[in-house]
Amino acid sequence: MSDGYTILSLDDVEHVPHRGSNLVPVRHTLGFEPAGVNAWIADAGGQLIPPHEEDSGNEELYAVVRGRATFTVGDEKADAPAGTLVFVPPEVFRTATAEEDATIVFAVGGTVGAAFNAGGWDSFAVADAYRQSGRLDEGRAIMEQLIAAKPDYWAVHYNAGCYEALGGESGAAFAHLRRAQELDTDGDAAPYFREDSDLDSLRDDPRFQEFVG
Amino acid sequence: MNIAHLDDLEAVELPDEFVWRPVRRHFDIQAFGTNAYTPGHGGRIIEEHTEQTYQHQEIYLVLRGRVRFTVDGDEHELGPGQLVFVRDPSLRRGAVALTDDAAVLAVGGKPGAAHEVSAWEYAFFAIPHMEEGRYDEARRLLREGLEAKPGSPSILYNLACTEALAGETDAAIDLLTEAVAADERFRGYAQDDEDFASIRDDPRFPS
Repeated sequence: MSDGYTILSLDDVEHVPHRGSNLVPVRHTLGFEPAGVNAWIADAGGQLIPPHEEDSGNEELYAVVRGRATFTVGDEKADAPAGTLVFVPPEVFRTATAEEDATIVFAVGGTVGAAFNAGGWDSFAVADAYRQSGRLDEGRAIMEQLIAAKPDYWAVHYNAGCYEALGGESGAAFAHLRRAQELDTDGDAAPYFREDSDLDSLRDDPRFQEFVG
Repeated sequence: MNIAHLDDLEAVELPDEFVWRPVRRHFDIQAFGTNAYTPGHGGRIIEEHTEQTYQHQEIYLVLRGRVRFTVDGDEHELGPGQLVFVRDPSLRRGAVALTDDAAVLAVGGKPGAAHEVSAWEYAFFAIPHMEEGRYDEARRLLREGLEAKPGSPSILYNLACTEALAGETDAAIDLLTEAVAADERFRGYAQDDEDFASIRDDPRFPS
């Protein structure tokens, strides 16, 4: 097989926990650049898609690959057997649960009128799963790769800060967060600094005042 | 809720014998390119092509059934939940269905660029109407495409085909001349295209 293409089976990708769901980190695994692509897997009764809304401009399409899901979009519920496609516009609540074992939903996302810019939340989820299972260096290596790929993007530094905060490395965390704040000229990070529970271990530290002052 | 089963999407059968299920267009998705495909009578499910023109990276995910992909000359038989990611736009890829129920979801785009609706979507929609002699409908769809993608050589070329088939020689010559001026490759395509049989002997035909 040439380097120009990759064959992947969703069942062969190591799942990682993310907000009460099991993420199949497709984009992180493949290095796909044009859009966000991931999958979610759950057994009957389990949560497939974490309940959330997407920011303004972010469109998402979900495809049920195997099994059966129940989607909730806004205040509507729908049965979604394999082969069902669900499109969710920005700023609309969505979640899905599995009705059969080993149900898989594939998700595609992007921003209208803008090039896809991977903030790396999915890579972060992989790194954090490594951290929680004691594979600290492997997790940190993922965060460093993200920074090397996009050194001028605030979100990758922010996520690296979260990684270190969760691991109790406050010095390293503050260094990453300072860099994130320097690069975030539009103030996009402010709500995250105020509300993100990943940073809770830093909130009582006097150094945290510079991010929420 | 914006929900549809892939079997309920419009089925556009193309001359190459694969069936296009226009997912992006159905939901009016603007942020990224995505479509589904099911097999035509001959079993083809993904057109043999490269992404040289659009420089797209593409993922082809099997949603149902079994599919044999050929990528860069290598064959891979895949089932539900398995995918091919073609990173290199220059690689030739295509697929045939091994079971009648096969379905593939494709996702693609150009790295580092905002998504734009590709001109081929308009052409794909118009081609079955052209082939079956519904020239007014083909014209309407291609004109709609030209409004969205002004000056698109592939849309101009398909409009030229439509006019040639409809016997509108002057319009066909003007449109084909415009397409060739926008992209010289269409001069070559026109030489072997049966759609132009009625106008090929016209002295104004770009040869």
